[in-house]
Amino acid sequence: MKKLLILCVVLLLSGCVSVAKVETGPRAIGERLTVTLDGAWNHVDAPGVGPGQLWTMEGSPVDQLRLYSGIKEGQALHAEQGGQQKSFTFRSNMQPDEIASLFEGMLTRDGSRYKLEKLEPMSFNGQPGFRFDYSLVRKVDNVHLSGVGFAAVSRNELFAVVYMAPRLVFYPRYIARVEHIGKSMSIKP
Amino acid sequence: MNRRRFLAGGACCALAGHGFAFAQEPWQAPPRLAKPDLATEEGGLWAMMDREERNIRRSPFLIRDRRLHDYVQDIACRLAGDHCPDVRVHIVNTPLFNANMAPNGMMQVWSGLLLRAENEAQLAAVLGHEIGHYLEKHSLERLRDVKSASALAQVMGLFGIAGAFGQLAVIAGMLSYSRDQERKADLIGSMLMHRAGYDPAEAAKIWNNLLLELKARPDGSPSANSPMFATHPSPEERSETLSKLAAGMPGGRTGAETWEEKIRPFRNEWLKEEIKRGQHEESIALLTRMGAGSTPNSEYRYARGEVYRLRAKAGDLDLAVADFQAAAAIGGEPPETHRALGLIYRSRRQISEAKASLRRYLELMPSAPDQAMIKSYIEELGS
Repeated sequence: MKKLLILCVVLLLSGCVSVAKVETGPRAIGERLTVTLDGAWNHVDAPGVGPGQLWTMEGSPVDQLRLYSGIKEGQALHAEQGGQQKSFTFRSNMQPDEIASLFEGMLTRDGSRYKLEKLEPMSFNGQPGFRFDYSLVRKVDNVHLSGVGFAAVSRNELFAVVYMAPRLVFYPRYIARVEHIGKSMSIKP
Repeated sequence: MNRRRFLAGGACCALAGHGFAFAQEPWQAPPRLAKPDLATEEGGLWAMMDREERNIRRSPFLIRDRRLHDYVQDIACRLAGDHCPDVRVHIVNTPLFNANMAPNGMMQVWSGLLLRAENEAQLAAVLGHEIGHYLEKHSLERLRDVKSASALAQVMGLFGIAGAFGQLAVIAGMLSYSRDQERKADLIGSMLMHRAGYDPAEAAKIWNNLLLELKARPDGSPSANSPMFATHPSPEERSETLSKLAAGMPGGRTGAETWEEKIRPFRNEWLKEEIKRGQHEESIALLTRMGAGSTPNSEYRYARGEVYRLRAKAGDLDLAVADFQAAAAIGGEPPETHRALGLIYRSRRQISEAKASLRRYLELMPSAPDQAMIKSYIEELGS
């Protein structure tokens, strides 16, 4: 954790990272996704974050909320980094377990260990989708994290909100806020 | 340090061109390596590795199964001979082919190597190679080769940031062994195998198997895709050299039956980790090879089918169904076989087959993490 914090400070000092407050209330994410916040968040803009938005309560080395809006066929869930690393790309005919596996692949590109805890159907304002809960042991510092994701596919595009935070303090502290966001997901037809 | 110690015993190793000549005289291992003075560069390297070992002991990535640990430790001990008390094996859950040994006697063995070895002798080939580096103090030689203090400081700086097991990968890259050192380690490894009663011919096989796997990748470059190939002699040269060495040391056992018995309890979990890598072509090559053994194995068939299912290129789902059906016919298949079959049938609107497979999955795994999702599918498919 300390190492990640140092890295974050270095990025901030180098001017590569900007942080903006996201106010309470309904927020549009991209063109078709709207979520409603019951508290303010911090929107982190930094190289390599895309294609989703990255929000955090405590700072991105601690907790991360990633919001994906309108991921298209063949598009990767992560910024392309080149080299030998595998790309995890969305296909519009993916079933929920495959989409959950896609996020698993993305989250474990650094060798972290992932375990699916639960996968269940969920509806987002009438749009069929699903929720998945997971745990993760982060490779870089061996921190145990808990996470949750909400996702749906509409008109061949993927919409998702995925959160993770250290399991002992921060995840229990913010999970209600995250669930509020997940339940509020509204996708324009 | 006697850098030519292995020659002194009469094992001639004339390094020349793409290979070397050798004779099978007894190789005299050095006496046990004493802990160096902390004030020396070697002492500093040991201290750094001691710190790393403390991290590994605490790591959640460490596989703590005592029986598996003792089994692999015993293989390492038989290879190390008099050095056995100095070798400490740590089995790490990382789905890649790798093992390494630090100057302080810490040996890391990754689960991806255990998954890929077909028998005890093949694991011994890799461990013997790493023990060869250890006995010849190759890490220290490489450290001394890092001439400038600033370059060394960079290495140390990277250690601070990289963290965890990545640290050893970093130092392996920064202080990678020279090709001559790799050749020496191959020679010593083969001799240690022979002394321990293993068939040295298995050494060439495990490297060839890995090479086939890495060549299956779309970008097909072994050196770019494996930490074990990044600095080693060309695979062709290595294979030829190891085969020649083995021809001079015929006989020995493979330990295949014991290996199967000891590895079986862990294999399904390691296969799941392999699938999660998302390196479909490599995994298909691996699983095709491992599944081609004389005894049909439902775990390999399921795993390969799952890789096909996730890759989902044209024709892959048919191949996946064939593998899942074969796994079920063999028996003892992982419950996920039926989930995967059911999901394919569902996508193809083969209603009755989908329902039967999904129900079978829930019967076999009633507390599956995705049970709610599967139940919703069954409901959606209708009664």
